[in-house]
Order: sequence, then C-alpha cells, then structure tokens
Amino acid sequence: MLPRWLIYALLCILAWGTWGFVAKLGADRIAPGPLQILATAGTFPLAFIAFLQLRMRLEKDARGITYGIANGVLSGIGLLAYYAAVSRGKVSVVGPVTSLFPLLTVALAFLFLRERLNRVQVVGVVLSLIAIAIFSQ
Amino acid sequence: MRALGANSWLLYAMITVVSWGAVGLLQKLSTNRISSRSVLVWLFVGFVALLPFLSFTQLSELTPTLIFLGVLSGFLNALGSWFLFLSLESGAKASVAVPLTGLFPLITVVLGVSILRERPSAIEWTGVACALLGGILLSYEP
Repeated sequence: MLPRWLIYALLCILAWGTWGFVAKLGADRIAPGPLQILATAGTFPLAFIAFLQLRMRLEKDARGITYGIANGVLSGIGLLAYYAAVSRGKVSVVGPVTSLFPLLTVALAFLFLRERLNRVQVVGVVLSLIAIAIFSQ
Repeated sequence: MRALGANSWLLYAMITVVSWGAVGLLQKLSTNRISSRSVLVWLFVGFVALLPFLSFTQLSELTPTLIFLGVLSGFLNALGSWFLFLSLESGAKASVAVPLTGLFPLITVVLGVSILRERPSAIEWTGVACALLGGILLSYEP
C-alpha cells in the first residue's frame, strides 16, 4: 500500500497534467481572456471549500494576504500567457517549457531571500537553459 | 533570443515562466504566514481582481462543451494545488513531494501525443526531456 502523502502527490500530478491538456483544448477555441474567466469560475468551488474548512475565518496577517493576492494575480497572468502559448504550439512541447518556472523561483529566492542553489539545482539550471536555447533556434 | 516566427509560442511561454516563477516565491513567503487553505482563498481573490481587465465578449458565443472545458481547467488546476498541500499535510517532505509533482507535464505530453496525435521532432523531444528534468531538479531543496 502506498503511503498517503504519495497518493496525494500522484493525484496532484494527474490533476495538473490533465489541466495542462484541458487548457490546450480550451485555448484552441477560446481567447485567453474568456478562458481565464471560465477558469476563475472553476476555481471557485475549491476556494469556497477551503474557506468553509477555515470556518470562514481568514488570518489577518496583512503581509500574508498581500502575498496571497499577488500570488493569484501573477498566477492568472501566467495562465493567460500559457493559453496564448499552447494555442500557438504543441502542448507536448509548450507544457514542459512552461514548467521551467522554478528557474525563476530559484533565481528570485537567491536574489531576495539569499537562498543558495544546491548542486542538483545547478544541474537543473543548466538543463533548463539548454531547453530554452533549443526552442529559441 | 529569436522568439518570434515559427516559435511564437516561446515568448508567451517565457511570460508564464516569469510570472509562475514569482508565484513560487510568493507561495514560499505567504505559507510562512498564512495556511495553505487561506492561500487558495486569496488566489481566488487575485483571479477575481483580474476579471475587470479581461474581455467577456466571446463568452456568449461559446458552446456548452467549451464552457465546460474552460471551467474544468480552472477546477483541475486548483485541485492539483489542493492535492499538493494534502500531500504535505500527510507528512510528505517538501524536498521530495515538490520535485515529484514537477513531473506533471509528463502527463500533459502523454495526452498531447496520444489524443491530439502531436508528433514532436527529435530536437523538440530533446528540449522536452531537458525541460522536464530541469524543472524537477530545480525544485529539489533538501
């Protein structure tokens, strides 16, 4: 029997992996703006369940809230660009390229949080740059 | 970078990489202060804040199937985030679970190739392999 955390991690992979594909099917026919409006509606049930589980009480940490909202705005902008990208290319290629976002997270964490890269991450940086170089040809 | 022409998607893909990269940082910063469930609620608020900037005009022309696909995509995306924090709450080490979930584009590739019959070229496959592996290695934080 698989440990529970692993089952959840695999379900996460399945949900996100299917999301990448379903968003492509949508983006082929729907412009990014309207598609994000529909996706916002799809996010609502889970946000609402989260809100209920918190007993309708959100923490009043102003910075936490600011980061949380900025997180949503930037996720949304990233999604709009994702829809534009997948509607112009193969999802089997565009999907993996957009998943290079940890490249920026690592760079920003290095700049702002003074987090250092480990060796594994350095190899990741190199492979990511190779991938970007290949597709820039 | 010659991002236009045959690879016009690359420019948009890079906008995604930059915004989601910042999201990764904001998630680190916000979950230090508020719970994962609150982050999901505020994520939704952020989505709503974007709505006034988006065009609603095409919505009335869409077929029910397309509307369903759009709503489903938002639901699956949030569902994935939910499973990730359930995994972390069930005792997963973030250093293992986060890189593992970085495998998600593999499912997207399988679906694109099998259902949409996409046929990436040899050089594209090389890029895909580097991108997949690179993304996973980057999120490794022991």
